Amino acid sequence: MKELKILYLYPDILELYGDFGNIQVLRYRLEQRGFKAIITPYSIGDLAPNFNDYDLVFAGGGADQEQSILAKDLIQYKDNIQQAVDDGVFFLLICGAYQLFGKYYKGVEGNIIPGLEIFPYYTEAINDRKKRCIGNIVIETTLNNIKTKVIGFENHGGQTFDVNTPFGDVLFGNGNKFGDSKEGFFLNNVIATYLHGPLLSKNPELADYIIKYCLDRKYNENITLSALDDSFESCVREQLLDRFLKKL
Amino acid sequence: MKNFFIVLAMKALHLGLKIMGKNGGNFLGKLAYDWNPNIFKYFKIDCPIIAVTATNGKTMTNNAIGYVFKTAGKKVISNTEGNNMETGILSTILKNCTLTGKVKADYLVFEVDEGYVPVVFKDLKLDTLVVINFFRDQLDRNGEVESLILKINEFLKNYSGNLVLNNDDPNVARLGHANPNNENVFYFSVDKYEHATTNMKEAGEGKFCPFCNTRIEYQYYQYSHIGKFECPQCHYGNNNIYRTAINIDLKNKCFDVDNTTYHIRFNSIYNIYNFTAVIACASLYKVDTEIVKKALSEFVLNNGRLEELQVHNIPTIINLAKNPTGANVSLRVLNEDNDEKELLFVLNDNMADGFDVSWIWDINFDNLNNVTRIVTSGTRAFDIAIRIKTSGYTPAKIEPYLNLEEAITNLYKTNTKKYVIANYTSLQSTRKEILKYSEKKL
Repeated sequence: MKELKILYLYPDILELYGDFGNIQVLRYRLEQRGFKAIITPYSIGDLAPNFNDYDLVFAGGGADQEQSILAKDLIQYKDNIQQAVDDGVFFLLICGAYQLFGKYYKGVEGNIIPGLEIFPYYTEAINDRKKRCIGNIVIETTLNNIKTKVIGFENHGGQTFDVNTPFGDVLFGNGNKFGDSKEGFFLNNVIATYLHGPLLSKNPELADYIIKYCLDRKYNENITLSALDDSFESCVREQLLDRFLKKL
Repeated sequence: MKNFFIVLAMKALHLGLKIMGKNGGNFLGKLAYDWNPNIFKYFKIDCPIIAVTATNGKTMTNNAIGYVFKTAGKKVISNTEGNNMETGILSTILKNCTLTGKVKADYLVFEVDEGYVPVVFKDLKLDTLVVINFFRDQLDRNGEVESLILKINEFLKNYSGNLVLNNDDPNVARLGHANPNNENVFYFSVDKYEHATTNMKEAGEGKFCPFCNTRIEYQYYQYSHIGKFECPQCHYGNNNIYRTAINIDLKNKCFDVDNTTYHIRFNSIYNIYNFTAVIACASLYKVDTEIVKKALSEFVLNNGRLEELQVHNIPTIINLAKNPTGANVSLRVLNEDNDEKELLFVLNDNMADGFDVSWIWDINFDNLNNVTRIVTSGTRAFDIAIRIKTSGYTPAKIEPYLNLEEAITNLYKTNTKKYVIANYTSLQSTRKEILKYSEKKL
């Protein structure tokens, strides 16, 4: 049986907005097709993982205080993570994890939390603590040459700069900064985004893009994923795209 | 003089509203507060003020405390309708004071929104504050739980009244350290119940010690992050307990505190916490144990908090769930019932619900006990349907309807027992729709 090995970083800390949903959706869509999902959690105090051993690495967003605790832990794996990114391991990074993989995060008081510096972008908190980019968001991205709308929810104070390869164009919502036209960061094998929580639940095309990428890489093939019954997903997309994009 | 006129004007307005058959909610308070934000100073209150705050269980605990005092023959003024921000509390006081601002009662009992404790009690003297729990709740509206706790902690640094705290919530018990000189800190706890687990089963907060950042260790979890905990480094959590509930028997709806058995009308672990807080509070004011026993055995809330109805002879249990823990404890009640049942989950994303429905992924839908069909509704009926499907529940047995009336009609096409979980803005419309269906001739 074909299988994917998923490393789930800090599931007990980076779990503020139901980020576990993404892991559940990936597992569901793999198992429905007869593939196996092996999910390995890693958190502070666990044995060091080898990032190259995995097909997919996932990390979500957390509370501010807890996030600064784990930043210190994650940085010890910097070289290993860089190698895994270069080798083509897929990384799905949400919200706080998106920020941590950049150069640094500058807090409201000017304090700097150093990032892993894997990617060239950086993030600065907006001066007014009460101002955050909060709300439903729709972006348009291109997956395997097909334009796809991605629906999610953003809630971040950090404004991310110097992104050369964004995840998508903002159709509704903010994006990397207040009123930005671009959202997230996208490489062939990396998606980093502010669309938090169960992002994949409303975007089956995106979930399948990630699954296909990982299977193709691991088994050196060009797989055609069998279709699943996505009737609820189609309904929610139709309903929400209509609701959000009509407002424009 | 200005305040006198404000009160006079509000009294007149209240009378007018009353004649028109309207309650007014927090409307009077809003007007008065906008007029003079320092109006709280105007009132002359000689009796103790008791306040209850929590993420979940405010209304239940507040109303039960009020009911205990009333059963003891005391005059109680309370915001029993759940208007719990500064304007709501102000409305309650305005309706019950004299023109000179005198409030005649034996006790004022208020439920207060977590974020508004420092605002309301800036100028009102608080005698007892009861704090029950802190959970993640509408993060896009309220922000992170930590910032709420820090606000209350700051307020408590200069507070030396009674503080009744849940010792089984690490986010609550820490408030006992806010003012080291306060000798009136009283912790309560609930002994391990039969469905407690060794691992956390549902999303929770407070994994690290607030004093030394060490990972907190638990002997057991009752639900979410509520349970017997201690910091292995600095031993935070190891407090003297003022009142402990033991022999928790949810089936027979009873438990013991200090060798007295209390019978209640609810069968959920979180309500045992609420009522233990009530008992702790009542004993601070020396209410006779027999009176507390009697009051708790009678007390019910018919507003969609574990409310039991018969709809064309089909047993129906309705419960509010506005955040992951609320939903998880509702599912606990459902799973602890072995009868065959069907579930209706209504999810809205209106302003008061928070626009973000990501929290439904923190609900544990695994291994539902004898649930044969699930109907979903609300403005996010499909989101919740996908959530339930992904947990492994057979998609063919999930029926989403955006239209609530249609959902209710389809829910009752079988005679199986129903559990209804509805979030904040959907609760009253769901209740109304069910009651309407209930009165319909079939």
